[in-house]
Amino acid sequence: MPKKLLQGNEAIVMAAEVAGLKFFAGYPITPASEIIHALVNKKHIKVLQMEDEIASINAIIGASLAGLKAMTATSGPGFSLMQESIGLAHMMEVPLVIVNVQRVGPSTGMPTLPAQGDILQCIHGSHGDYFPIVFYPNSVSELYQYTIAAFNAAEESMSPVILLSDGYISHLYETIIPHRDFTIKARSRPPLGTGNRHFTGLSHEDSVPKTSDVDNYRRLITRFREKQQVTAQRYNFYEYMECSKETDTLLISCGALSRIAYYFKNDFALYRPIRMFPLVEEIKIIAARYKRILIMEMNMGQYAQEIERILHREVEFIPILGGRIDLKEIKQKIYGQK
Amino acid sequence: MDKNSHFKRYLKLDLLPTAWCPGCGNGIALKTICQAFDELDLPKQGTVVVSGIGCSGRSAGFFDLDSVHSVHGRAIPVAEGIKYANDALNVVVVSGDGDLLGIGGNHLLHAIRRNTNITVICYANEIYGMTGGQVSPITPHSTKTLTTPNGNPDYPADVQSLFKHHNSFFARTTAYHLDHMKKCFLEALKFKGFSFVEARTMCIVNYGRRLGYKNSNEMLMHYKEFYKINDYTEELAQNEIGIINRCL
Repeated sequence: MPKKLLQGNEAIVMAAEVAGLKFFAGYPITPASEIIHALVNKKHIKVLQMEDEIASINAIIGASLAGLKAMTATSGPGFSLMQESIGLAHMMEVPLVIVNVQRVGPSTGMPTLPAQGDILQCIHGSHGDYFPIVFYPNSVSELYQYTIAAFNAAEESMSPVILLSDGYISHLYETIIPHRDFTIKARSRPPLGTGNRHFTGLSHEDSVPKTSDVDNYRRLITRFREKQQVTAQRYNFYEYMECSKETDTLLISCGALSRIAYYFKNDFALYRPIRMFPLVEEIKIIAARYKRILIMEMNMGQYAQEIERILHREVEFIPILGGRIDLKEIKQKIYGQK
Repeated sequence: MDKNSHFKRYLKLDLLPTAWCPGCGNGIALKTICQAFDELDLPKQGTVVVSGIGCSGRSAGFFDLDSVHSVHGRAIPVAEGIKYANDALNVVVVSGDGDLLGIGGNHLLHAIRRNTNITVICYANEIYGMTGGQVSPITPHSTKTLTTPNGNPDYPADVQSLFKHHNSFFARTTAYHLDHMKKCFLEALKFKGFSFVEARTMCIVNYGRRLGYKNSNEMLMHYKEFYKINDYTEELAQNEIGIINRCL
């Protein structure tokens, strides 16, 4: 397999094609637009530029129900607009892949600069309880690899899977070997037009809306949660590097920022979640070996609070805000805290 | 009557009666849609109904077909996704005026522009009925509703004008004019391209009774007296129902 020089967003497209993508609907937004630019040239993928992100997510829900593997790609502002229908896709159990190339927010923020501010929005953006599977790679070759994983996890869990990226790694060029020897999950549900099923956002049982059956609702949500956890077990992705020296500190980071964390591998043990949600359970065992947990992320502590929640202990947190990833500054912040 | 050659074959009869109020016009439109399906002998496998949210939104669940009950205002993009994914399917949207023209108005605008080959049937009752009776995008000027206690200060949206410069299909009909309603549905379903039928249905419980109508029959009689049929025209006057087909 020859090496290829690819941009992060291009790698997502190449992988999506391998994973069986047949339908894409999206709306232009920095820094995700390269995805739709690359897709319009693919002969066997139907691509629609919709009027907004709300239409985009709903169009891919329709296309997925109609039998095609479907994806959309956006950034924070568009991801915010999609939230209501992400809930719908969970309720109707529609497999989708949603790529969110994060930029600095809130609101229009700084469109060309990377951030990690949408981490909690992935799991709490829509109303009600739902349990999405979220991946966050940190290189071009990983974007390729985990785009394929996202499509497979979507089919297995029958739910929308979120592939997080950021303005840095999506715009990064790296050489990758685009392997094609992945197991690709086939569609498991017969397409629309083959039965008399009713897909609804209402609480339901066997195609019949049940708007006041409390016990049925509890069963439904429990089943959703269990289904997501079972699927997630098969996608237990994380990176853990023990330190060559004795250390009492575990440094946690993800996405673009985790690339700079490798500079500290001689001082700290490193942990990087790739499956962001549901949280990888192994973190409990790994963290137990270290007195001090240090988390740096490009937001005000979104993942740190999730780590605290799962570990039941306090962690130290270093915010790297505004999209500037500067080694000198980060060194100062990390060693300054000692 | 043979159940297989009857409009009832398109309905999940065990889910009836509907949850709609006594006197509601939605049931008339639902039955007429099924009659139009029956007359065209649309295959049950290969036809999909999509709806949004509201009283009308519950229609999709009554069809004995694959159906999707999406979120508020988004029935059209869901239907477009289905149609562009599988062109062989007959895709029909059934929803209300608040859903299609209010929260979903932007999608309507662009579906007309794209001329997606789907049929949209709008139960136009001029009110947000399910939430108690708030003003809708086509509530007439000066009409009192829960949110316009001094009368609607705005004027209703001129829906047909959106279709003016496109090769698409617009029709307006009412729940009183049953033959005309069926004709509109039939032609809309046969139309190759985007077709839209504004079917006036009465809401007595959260609209009509506050305007002085004693029962829903009086609202039907109003349709009878107020609306004149004017098919195959270029533009419908306020008191006209009819078909505007720019591909004839």
